[in-house]
Amino acid sequence: MSSKKPGERQVLESIYTMIALVFVLVTCVELCDAATVVDVYRLIQYDISGVPFGSRFATLNHHAGSLHFASGVDLSRTVVIIPVRELNITFVKEYFAQRKPLGGLLFLLPQMFNFENRDVVSGSEDEIHEKELIKTVLVELERLLIHASIPYPVYFAFEDDDIDAVLADVKRSDASGQPATATTGGYKLVVSAPEPKKIVSPTITNIQGWLPGLKADGDPNQLPTIAIVASYDTFGTTPALSVGSDSNGSGVVALLEIARLFSLLYSNPKTRGRYNLLFGLTSGGPYNYNGTHKWLRSFDQRLRESIDYAICLNSVGSWDNELWIHVSKPPENAFIKQIFEGFSSVAEELGIEVGLKHKKINISNPRVAWEHEQFSKLRVTAATLSELSAAPELFESTGGLSDSRHFVNETAIVRSIKLVAESIARHIYGHQGKNVQIFADDTSLAVNAPYIISWLDLLSQTPRVAPFLSKNDPFVVALKKELEDHTYEVHMQHEVLDGMFTLYDSTKAKLNIYQVASVTFDLLLLLVLGSYLIILFTFLVITTRGLDDLISLFRRPPSRKVKTA
Amino acid sequence: MTLFHFFNCAILTFGPHAVYYSATPLSEYDTLGTSVKAALVYLGTALVKLVCLATFLNVSENDSFDPYQELLKALIGFIDVAGLYFALTQLTHRNISQNHKFQAVGLGWAFADSVLHRLAPLWVGARGLEFTWDFILQGLEANANLVLSISLAALGSLMWLRKNKPKTLIPIIYACAGIVATMPSITSYLRRGLGWHFPKVVGFELFTSLVTAFISWQLFSACQRPSS
Repeated sequence: MSSKKPGERQVLESIYTMIALVFVLVTCVELCDAATVVDVYRLIQYDISGVPFGSRFATLNHHAGSLHFASGVDLSRTVVIIPVRELNITFVKEYFAQRKPLGGLLFLLPQMFNFENRDVVSGSEDEIHEKELIKTVLVELERLLIHASIPYPVYFAFEDDDIDAVLADVKRSDASGQPATATTGGYKLVVSAPEPKKIVSPTITNIQGWLPGLKADGDPNQLPTIAIVASYDTFGTTPALSVGSDSNGSGVVALLEIARLFSLLYSNPKTRGRYNLLFGLTSGGPYNYNGTHKWLRSFDQRLRESIDYAICLNSVGSWDNELWIHVSKPPENAFIKQIFEGFSSVAEELGIEVGLKHKKINISNPRVAWEHEQFSKLRVTAATLSELSAAPELFESTGGLSDSRHFVNETAIVRSIKLVAESIARHIYGHQGKNVQIFADDTSLAVNAPYIISWLDLLSQTPRVAPFLSKNDPFVVALKKELEDHTYEVHMQHEVLDGMFTLYDSTKAKLNIYQVASVTFDLLLLLVLGSYLIILFTFLVITTRGLDDLISLFRRPPSRKVKTA
Repeated sequence: MTLFHFFNCAILTFGPHAVYYSATPLSEYDTLGTSVKAALVYLGTALVKLVCLATFLNVSENDSFDPYQELLKALIGFIDVAGLYFALTQLTHRNISQNHKFQAVGLGWAFADSVLHRLAPLWVGARGLEFTWDFILQGLEANANLVLSISLAALGSLMWLRKNKPKTLIPIIYACAGIVATMPSITSYLRRGLGWHFPKVVGFELFTSLVTAFISWQLFSACQRPSS
C-alpha cells in the first residue's frame, strides 16, 4: 500500500499540472463569442466653458428594448433601439424634456449614411423622396441631440441584417409583454469602453499656399492679394461620422480646383496676373472660426493690409439656382459693391442668381457665424459665398451626420467654381463687365469634373472633427500635398484650439449583442439537472445494489463513514 | 449568472460520471486508481490518434463529407479500441472483479474524453454572456458518451477477458463492438454527410447509447449465466 501511494501522488500531480496548463491556455483565449458585433458611433461629448453637452457616458450593459413598450414601464435599465426610419421625434423630445432615465439609446441609421459602404445607389423617385425625408428627420434629431446634456450613453449604428433580426425579435417580445428569457429572445447590449477622457490641448492645423503675382520691374509697392479661404473641418453629433460633404467639403474641393486653375494661368509669365493669390484651408470652423482667427493674427500688418479682398467658400455643393454672398459691411461700401457686381455679372452669364446678405458683427458676442467675419474684425474686406441664406447657429451646418455625399451635387460645385474663378480672374485681368470666358468648357482651363468628384469622394469618407485629427493626420498631409502641387510656399500652421470648447474622446466602439438567458431559466435548469442526477443515482443504486442498499444509505450514513475510514 | 450557466453545464457534463462512481459498487471497492489509469491510457491513445490523423489525413478546406477520408478516420478511430484493449488486459489492476474492472475502465475513459473535449469549450463558451443551447446539448452528448464507453468496455471485456462464453453469441458480440467503435464516424457522417443539426445528432446519440447499453447488458448477463 505504502509503495503505491507515491505513484498515485505522482499521477495526481501530473494531472494537476495538466489542468493548470489547460487553464493558462484558456485564459489566453479572447472571450469574443457574441451573436453579433457591430460598429457603433458615440454621440459627441463636449463642454462649452465647462457646461456639459452631449452624451456623458460610454459604457453600456443593458437589455435591449424597442419603442413598442407598454406605457409606464421603467426604462432606466433598457437600451432603446430606435431606427431613424421610424423615429418619433416627439418621443425623444419628450424624454429629453422630462429628463426621464434611460439605460441608453441606440439609433439605427440607414445604410446610405455609411460612407464606408458606397454601393448604395439611389434611383427611383420614391427613394429620393425617402432620402430627403430621412435627412430632415436627421437634421432635427441632430439639433436636438447636440444641444442636450444626456446622462446616459447614446450610440449610432447602421442597419444591417443581424441588427434588424435582433430588433425584430425585441419588438416581438416587447409587443407580447413577456419578460426576456432565453426562449423569447432577451438581448443584452454591451459596449465596454473606457471612461471618456478630455482631449488635452487639441491642435488645429491651417494650411496656406501662395500663387505670387508678376511684379513689374522696379515697382517698390507690394502687389495686392486676393485670398480664397475655406474651412475644412467638421463638427457633428457623431464625430466618427461627421464627413461634411457639403459643409464644408464642397468648399474645400472648390478651393483646390480654383488653385489648380489659377496655377495653370500663373505658370505662364504672359498670363500671370498682378495679384498675389493666397489660398487658405483653415481649421476650427465650427468653433467660431477659431483657426481663421489665429491664422489672420499670425500675418504681419503689411500683409494683412495688402489683401484686397477675401472670398470664403462655405457649403456650395447642394443648391439649385441661388447663391448668397454674405458680407458684414453695408452693401453701399465701395469694395463690397465692386465684389458683388463682379460676381453678379458672371452669375448672370452662367444663369445663376446671386443675392447679397448683410449681417452686422456684434463685437460683444463671441459667436462668429461666418468665416468672413474674422476678416472683417481685422478690417479686411471679405465675403462668404454660400448656399445658406441665413447665418447658421452654433454647430449647425457644420457637416454633421445628415451631411452625406448623397445630398451633394457635383454640377453645383462646378458652377460655383466657375462663378468664383471667373469673377476673380476678371478682377485680376481687368475684364470687369466684359463677356470673356476665361475658364470656358472644352479648353485647357476648363473645370475638371473628375478631379472634383474624386476629391469630393475622399472628403466624404474622411471624418474631420479637428480635435480628433492629429497634427500629421494623413488627411491633412494629403491636403497640404495637393496644395503644394498647385501653389508655392505651402506651409502648415499648428495652433491650439481655444479653451472654451472641450471635447471628449472614445467616438467609436464595438457593440456586442448577446442573446442571454434569464436567471429563472438557469435556476430551472439547475433544478432539472439536480433531479436528473438524483434519479440517476437512485436508479443506479437500485439496479446494481438493490433497493435495500439505497434505503440503508439514508438510514445509517455514519456507519458507512466508519466503514470507509 | 453566466458562471451559473457554466456551473449548470458542468454538472450536466461531469455529474453523471461522479454519480456513476458513487452509486455503483465501484466506490465501495475503491477502483479510482483503475479509472485514473484508464484515463491516462485514453490520453496516450488520443495523442497517438492525433499524430495519425495529422499524418494520414489531408486538411479539407470545406466542411464537406469525403467518404475516403472518413473511412480513414474510422480506421484511425479503431486505435481507441486498441487503447481500450490495453487498458482492459495489460494494466495491472488490483484484484477487482471483471464486472467492476470494465466499469471502472469505461468510466475513466469517458471522463477523460469529456475533460479533453468538452471542458475547454465549456469554460470559454458557457461563461460568456451569450446564451446558446449548444453547451447543454454538449452535456447530453457527454452522457451518451459515458453510456457508450461503458458499453464498449463491457463488450471488450466479454471479448478479451471472458474465456468461456457461448459460441453462438461471439459473432453478435463482435458485431456490436464494431458498431459501437464506429459510432464517432457514424455521428460525423450524420452531421456532415446528411447535414443533421446538433440537437438531432445528440438525440440520435442518446437513443443509440441506450440501445447499445441494453444490448450489451443482455449479452453480458447471457454470458454470465453459464459460468454462474
